[in-house]
Amino acid sequence: MNFFKRAWLNVWAKKGRSVLLILVSSAILMFVLAGLLIRSAAVKATETAKTNAGATVTLSANRQAAFKKMQSQSSSSTKASRPKLTLTPVKLSDAKNIAKLSNIKSYNVTSSTTVNAKSYDTVSTSTGMGAGGGPGGMKGSSQSSGDTQIDGVTATALTTAFTDNQSKVTKGRGITASDEGTNNVVIEKELASQNNITVGDTLTFKQTTGSKKTIKAKIVGIYKASSSSTSTGPMSVDPANTIYASYTLANTLKGSKYAGTADSVTFNVKNPAKVSATKRAGKQLISSKYSLSTDDAAYQSVKSSMNNVESFANKIVWLVAIAGTIILALIVILMIRERRFEIGVLLSLGEARWKIVAQFFTEMLMVIVIALAVAGVGGKFVGNQLGSQLVAQSTTTQTTSRSSNQPGGGQPGGSNGGNQHGAGGPDSTATTAAATKKANLEISMSAVDLAELGGFGLAITFLSIMIASGGILRLEPKKVLIS
Amino acid sequence: MLRTEGLGYWYQNKDQPLFQQVNLEFEVGQSYAILGHSGSGKTTFLSLIAGLDKPREGAIFLNDRPLTEIGLTHYRRHEVSIVFQAYNLFTYMSPLNNLLTAMAITGASHAGDQDYARQILRDLGIADELMTRNVQHLSGGQQQRVAIARTMCCDAKLVVADEPTGNLDEDNTQAVIAQFQRIAHDQQKCVILVTHEPDVAAQCDQQYRLENKQFVRLAERA
Ligand SMILES: Nc1ncnc2c1ncn2[C@@H]1O[C@H](COP(=O)(O)OP(=O)(O)O)[C@@H](O)[C@H]1O
Ligand SMILES: [Mg+2]
Repeated sequence: MNFFKRAWLNVWAKKGRSVLLILVSSAILMFVLAGLLIRSAAVKATETAKTNAGATVTLSANRQAAFKKMQSQSSSSTKASRPKLTLTPVKLSDAKNIAKLSNIKSYNVTSSTTVNAKSYDTVSTSTGMGAGGGPGGMKGSSQSSGDTQIDGVTATALTTAFTDNQSKVTKGRGITASDEGTNNVVIEKELASQNNITVGDTLTFKQTTGSKKTIKAKIVGIYKASSSSTSTGPMSVDPANTIYASYTLANTLKGSKYAGTADSVTFNVKNPAKVSATKRAGKQLISSKYSLSTDDAAYQSVKSSMNNVESFANKIVWLVAIAGTIILALIVILMIRERRFEIGVLLSLGEARWKIVAQFFTEMLMVIVIALAVAGVGGKFVGNQLGSQLVAQSTTTQTTSRSSNQPGGGQPGGSNGGNQHGAGGPDSTATTAAATKKANLEISMSAVDLAELGGFGLAITFLSIMIASGGILRLEPKKVLIS
Repeated sequence: MLRTEGLGYWYQNKDQPLFQQVNLEFEVGQSYAILGHSGSGKTTFLSLIAGLDKPREGAIFLNDRPLTEIGLTHYRRHEVSIVFQAYNLFTYMSPLNNLLTAMAITGASHAGDQDYARQILRDLGIADELMTRNVQHLSGGQQQRVAIARTMCCDAKLVVADEPTGNLDEDNTQAVIAQFQRIAHDQQKCVILVTHEPDVAAQCDQQYRLENKQFVRLAERA
């Protein structure tokens, strides 16, 4: 191990040169580390996005099939009966079968209807729409419309409005599965304050169909709809007039034949990457009267933004590693030229050439070890700066491209059953907001990152010495005599 | 001990060899000087007997074994020790570490023995406080003495030197020559030194002059 001692003596004696080498190596390794950190942060963010951004499969009536049926009826039937578009409500038994699929995490049953206010006054929109102005907004529904929207759900926490933080429970609690079969409701803050009612109070409303019975409901929670959701289309009810209840209450209000049904059922999947396989498996379980649609836009958006960051980080890592190797190799080549007499003396003493190469390698290794520590401190800083820049850029691109795709109303929930919150406007902003929120890169340094950096440092050192050692291996020992 | 047989060397042109059909013998306990004009091929000859290059013609034998059989790396490590005109010490080490390094690489019998190395340096007039300072702080004469000490602490029986006094003043030259004589006579080694200074050559036991591609033996010292 004599070459080890020589390496140490050399690094120690030529401190100025060693410090310079450490600085150059640190700079190279810092960029490698920054790349590694961004990459692993992107991988982690994509993993989180898989579970958080999520993807959904929605079971609803098959509008296309229903439309075809209506057309065939109109051609075959007599003029007396006008053809009607009948949308078969979704059966909860089908939903339960689909829920058993392995990739399904949870599901939310949606059943919506309208009622007419009795014990309270509805909130009227400042933009000129009267309380009774609602009807136009309801489409495809056989029911006549009231002034209050009842959104029946399994749990408010499972609805897009709440998961995207568009709506928030501010008092009491949201609707949960335990509210099934009860008349518990959650009302909007504005409606509550206008009527001076709060959690624990009751309110009454009247059915719009059938016997037009008066129903008494108990307020268990107050929610606040975010300001952006007030900008709905001109044909809809003020969002403050939306009351959340269990889907069972909505079904009861619609009439007895609606028991055990839903407008739609939204399934949250565990692994969004497998959403289409889940959809295929689900289709096997239902009749053609129903359709399954998927929405993994939020997941795809996060994923593609993170993929961009990740591949960019990969390129940084490799480019810097290659450039670093070349730079270090050049430095070592120059160093070896300057030290050819020393090499000659070593050769004249009968030292093995590989041990001379090993000495140079050890010297560089000592430099790299210190450079690794320096880079470890500096790389996190560089990574943080670079990471936030990258995400800012890629999410901006994502947002613009997504919102230009949106006008079709891609949300499957919006296109069925009729009693949803109007057009896709608020939904699309909600998804984009979610994507932006989840695209945050959290730069943190793990032992794995440092180990990987060490690997790169070692490889760079090894390669540059190998490239440069051609000079050592070719050097004629005789050169030491003839200067 | 060392013998050349039909030794010949040329660089580009085979028709213009530096020397040719050289048959010489060198023994332990003796010092040899090789004189010659600048450019006559002295250094080239030395590189051959030091095992730094291979002859174009002929062969070199160490105790009747050809160097090609011994292997040049093994030969350099164990059989020969070189003193250079420009000292060629390890500039990043102290005199002491220069000696210890040489002993370690050559696997000398005193390898690792600091006291032995110090004693040799002391004998050559290197003060104790200089032994652990960087060699670059030493004068030319002191550095050449360290180089000679490096040779002395190794076991090689053959010591070759290329213009060892070329960079030294008169006093240092005399001290260095005296040291080479001690290596030959006291340590019973074979010393071959190349010089272009007849005064220096005259102090060695035997002298050769390289002229007209041959080594001509000059009269033995009285
Ligand atoms: N590598 C080489 N290639 C070509 N010619 C060389 C080389 N090395 C030395 N020479 C030439 O060979 C001759 C002898 O050189 P050298 O052995 O160094 O002479 P000396 O040591 O006696 O001055 C010189 O003319 C020199 O120019
Ligand atoms: Mg010469």
